[in-house]
Formats: sequence, structure tokens, C-alpha cells
Amino acid sequence: MNGWTGNILRVNLSAKSFKKETFTEEFAQKWVGGRGFAVKTLYDELKPGIDPLGPENKLIVALGPISGIPAPNTGKAVVAAKSPLTGFYGDGNLGTRAAEHLRKAGYDMLIVEGAADRPTMLYIEDDKVEFIPADEVWGKGTFACNEWIYAKYGKGVGVLNIGQGGENLNRVAVIRSLEGRAGGRPGIGAVMGSKKLKAIVVKGTRPIPQADPAGMKAAGFGDLRKVGQIDKETGWSIQSTTGVLPFCNEVGGLPVRNFRKTHHPLAWQVDGERCNNARIATYGCPTCTMRCGVTVRDAEGHESELDYENVALLGPNLEIFDIPQMASLNYLCDDYGLDTMSTGCILSFYADAIDHGAVAGDFKFGDAERAKELLRMAAHREGKIGNLLAEGSLRMAREFGHGSEAYAMQVKGLEVAAYNCKFIPGQALAFGVAAIGAHHREAWIITFEIRNTTRESYGPEKAAKVIELQRIRGGLFEFIVSCRFPWIENGWPLENYPKYFNLATGLNWGLEDMWTVADRIYSMIKLHFLREFPKASREDDYPPRVWFDPANADTEGPIAGKVLELDKYDGLLQHYYDQRGYDRRGIPTKATLLSLGLQAEAAAVEPYATLSD
Amino acid sequence: MKVLVKVIGPLIYKTGFSEKDLDLPPRTTVAELVTIIGIPADRPRITTRNGKAVLPEDEIEEGDKIAVSPIYSGG
Ligand code: SF4
Repeated sequence: MNGWTGNILRVNLSAKSFKKETFTEEFAQKWVGGRGFAVKTLYDELKPGIDPLGPENKLIVALGPISGIPAPNTGKAVVAAKSPLTGFYGDGNLGTRAAEHLRKAGYDMLIVEGAADRPTMLYIEDDKVEFIPADEVWGKGTFACNEWIYAKYGKGVGVLNIGQGGENLNRVAVIRSLEGRAGGRPGIGAVMGSKKLKAIVVKGTRPIPQADPAGMKAAGFGDLRKVGQIDKETGWSIQSTTGVLPFCNEVGGLPVRNFRKTHHPLAWQVDGERCNNARIATYGCPTCTMRCGVTVRDAEGHESELDYENVALLGPNLEIFDIPQMASLNYLCDDYGLDTMSTGCILSFYADAIDHGAVAGDFKFGDAERAKELLRMAAHREGKIGNLLAEGSLRMAREFGHGSEAYAMQVKGLEVAAYNCKFIPGQALAFGVAAIGAHHREAWIITFEIRNTTRESYGPEKAAKVIELQRIRGGLFEFIVSCRFPWIENGWPLENYPKYFNLATGLNWGLEDMWTVADRIYSMIKLHFLREFPKASREDDYPPRVWFDPANADTEGPIAGKVLELDKYDGLLQHYYDQRGYDRRGIPTKATLLSLGLQAEAAAVEPYATLSD
Repeated sequence: MKVLVKVIGPLIYKTGFSEKDLDLPPRTTVAELVTIIGIPADRPRITTRNGKAVLPEDEIEEGDKIAVSPIYSGG
């Protein structure tokens, strides 16, 4: 089989055993890799209702058919498990050398089962798998853990690790790699921690099977150079994603004060220009010629790698307009292995709940020092407050009551990324129907809404755009497994990706074939959701209610007096369901599942919930 | 007429500024302004007036706050 190694490495931490398994060409072509492999495997192998933080959960690291092959920007891996934050399928992707090494070791997917009885590091080198005691670094941050690993194996190995957040089962703990890479927002790091797995280290030394290695080499290296040249012309990576902050501020889309406000006069103090001016280093993923990790010094002197999401959510959203202080919070998230976005939303929700009298407390917007303290407590689950913050904003709101769930900024339990949709209906839909909860990775349509349609519209064109982008961003890039930035930010043509895929696999696929796989994956995630939550309803796809509250409207600025309208949003949601072939609950119909070749998967949900015809 | 012009993201390295008060002749269009400040006409961009998108042929008015941004795709 070209393109795929055809192998899965299955490791059981309870038994300290491992085996190499193979998969069929049919499986490869139906699910391709990354998110596709992960969702299918977890659906087949996890019983509904299992404890995501128990040994029955499985941690997956999945690659795609171009992972590890030099081409634009293939140094990424998908990590997935049943999420302890949302209660159904959760995943993320991160830049890591482990992507290349796992493939060179001969695997397209790693499945980690069971739980170790003591802190463990998994060391994989081609056919060899070792279970190494990691007591020495248990309790330490991800940076110290990296140093410990590098001292043992050198800097070239692939590393995935967790910090204190994952160890202490904080529900927004991520998996980390390299200087500032992180993935698995819905608590995938906590799943790793529940298995007492501190780190996975991989070294692979073998060639990756490819149909046309010479053609792939020429296209891959040539295109890497071209993408680098385009980036020089556009200048995108000078500010990278941090450049979008003043745009959001300008159009009333910036999260400020737990998303209560949509712009702020001091936002310029943490914008892309200032972040770039403060830059001391640039980091990025392997195989990338447009590296986007703008790195600055934080208030305590650490290097801290920024992007827009963490700047906005740990800065303006907490009313912190100071780069070193905001960077400190970002550094702490990275070191503790916590998701920067969810953490920003959790802290802002806590301050807002105190402000609105839902709970007593001493944390106020703008208090960076107290925010650092709270972050440390959350990572260690220290005391009542630490334990509360470690649960995520939805569980906190249920504990607080007093109507606070309306302004817990989350969908399906996953905190909203850094775009304030108080009056951006299409992006609100994108968050509402994002497969794993309110992630920005799958569809971002704000410029489209403002430039190509009317902002006020709740029309079918917005649902169509969300689907188009989900297929590309949440589908193609997540199953072929490469970074979407060359395409989305520098206009690298999409047609290149089937080209790489075909050179690797020897198949002759076009983009239409990719969309079928993408739709299959989206349907599968919905089936996961339904099997875990048989009472699923369309309200699960509603964004935070505060965005519909007229009392929360801006009093000045570009969207003064405007908020989303619930009945119209519901209509937009219906457009999305109709175009997707989903029923009124937002679940794929039997006919849709059949057209995607998911008969067996549909049958597997029926003991738990009904499907519509 | 006086207008406040904001330039966003890497476009500031083309214009040499990120925010400036400009004195423009009456009836200047958005497209003309973009050329005046040194952004190549073929560069994809979104321009807003007081936070709302405008078209290249739209005329600028006294006191407007115009922002010129690359077409971001939201990370
Ligand atoms: S653009 Fe950024 S996220 Fe994408 S591969 Fe390069 S460094 Fe990684």
C-alpha cells in the first residue's frame, strides 16, 4: 500500500504490552488518516458511557498519507480521545516532530490503551517500544520535561508531553510539543494524564512508502520554497495570526471582558504590530517555510510564543492590555499544558460571574497577578477554587447557577475561540455546528460575512460557506494532516493537496473525493455525539445565550444596539441541517449515512438512539 | 477633508504607518485612498468605514474612520 505504512501501533499501558496491527486498503481509503482514523477507531472501540478519565478511554495519535513527507506544511499530528470536557469525540492537531518520526517508525496511528500504575514515558523506536519510569518529571512542566527528554535522546526526536494540567486531570489540558505547540483542546492532555503517561517519545529511521518518491520530492521541496516566497511577498508571518486583532477590534468582533464588549480603545497595545515589535524569536512546526510562532519575553523573563487566540483571550478578554503580562499567562498555560483559549474563557467567566453576583470571589478583570495565581491553582487542582476552575466553564456555571450558564462562553462544553459573535450570525453558526464544540479551526467566515454578504443576513449562503469551510478546514487538512495556513492566509491553491495525496498514494483523487471523506467524518462525529447523548437536540448547536440578549448589546461602536436574534439563528441552523442532510436535531438521516457508506456505523447507534429516515 | 486611516496587519509594512490623519480631496473613493497610501491595487483586502465594509468605488466622507486590512481567514 503506497502512501500509508498500513500499520497501527497498539500499546497497552496496564499490561505493558504492545502489538503491531495492520489495516486494510479499504479502511485507508474510507478514512484517509488523522481525524478520519481517530473518529472511526474511537467509534468502533469505545463503549458509550465510559469514563473519559478511566482506563477504558483510548488515546490516539493519527497521521495522514503525507505526514512526514517534506511538502507544505506536513509536520502535524492529530491527537484524539473521548473528551473529558465535552463527553464525546474530541481531538486537536499540533505541530510536532512526532508526526514524521511515527511514520518513519512504520506507523500511521498509535493507540494507547489502559493506564500505567506509575508515571511512565513511552519510547518508540521503529519496532521497539519501551515503558520508561517518568517519576522524575511527574509534577514538572512541559518545558522541563522537554529538557529531560532531550538530555536522554537528543533534540531531534519527536515528543508529545503533558504538564501539571494533564497530570491533575484539568479538563482543558492539552498535549504539547516543541517550544509552543499544543493540541487537543477538549482535555486530551487530561486523558494522557489519566493514563499516567507523561510523554511519548518517537524515533523512526525507515523510509515512508510512497507511490512516486521522485515526483513527491520535486513537488514537495519546490512547493515549500514557493510557499516561503509567497509569504515573503504577503508578509503574513511577520505578525502571523496576531495581525487579525485590530481587524476584530475594528468590526466589533473582539472578545473583551468575557465577550461582554466587542472592541476596546486599548486593544492596539497588544496588536500584531506591537507583538512583532516585542519579538525575540520565531518558532514553528517542522516542514514549514512560513513559521508563525511570534515569541516575546513575558513579565518573568520566559520566552512565550503567541498567536491571536491566546493574545485575545488572555489579553483583552481579561482586560489585560500589557504584552508581557498577557505573555506570562500564555507561558504558564504552555508550561502547565493547559489550553490557552479555554483557560482565557474560564478565567473571564469566573470574573464575570463574580461581577454579576453569581459567586463570591476576589478575582477582577485586569488583575494579571491574581490570574497567574488562579492558573497555577487550576493546573494543580489546588483547593476549592483550583478544582472548580479545572472543570471548565460549563460545569462551573452549573455549580454557580443564577443564570450564569448564559454567559459561560462555550458550545457543547468547549469554550469559544477568540471571535465575538454578538452580531456575526454566520460565525456564530460556525461555532454552533463545529464538530467538537466551539472551535475556530473548522470554519471562519467573518471576512466573508462582512465583505461578501450583509452582516445582518441569516441566509442559506452563510450555511453553505460554513459547510464549504468545514470540508476543507475540518475535513481535508485534518485527515490528510497538514497545516491549513498556506491556503487560508497565503492563498496557496487547494488543488495542491490532492496532488500531494496522489503522489504519495498513487491514487487519482480530486477535491470532490476529499469532500466525501470530510462529510463522512462529520457524520461520524455526530453519531458519536448521539450515542453519548441520545437526547441530543438542535439547542446543542446554539451559541452562548448572552449573544442573543438585548441587554448585552454594545452601547456604542460599529454594532451598537445589535445582538443575534434567536428565531433567525434557528432558521440559519435549519439551512445548515437541510444542506447537510441532517434531521431537525442536527443528526444525519439514515439516507445521508447510507450515501456516505455508513450503514454499519448507523446500526451501531440504534441500540442507544433513533435515527430519522 | 479629514479622515482617520487605520492600516492592519502586514499592510503596515507597505504604507509605513498603522494609523494616520489624512487630508484628502473631496469625493476621494476607497480605491483611490488605497493607492494614495501605497497599497498595490491588486492586493486582496477588506476596507471598512466606521466598522462596516465598503466597496472600492464608495466615496469617503469627512470624519470617516477607514480601516484597510488583509483578508484574514481567522487562524
Ligand atoms: S504556519 Fe504556523 S502552525 Fe502552520 S505549520 Fe507553519 S508554524 Fe506550524
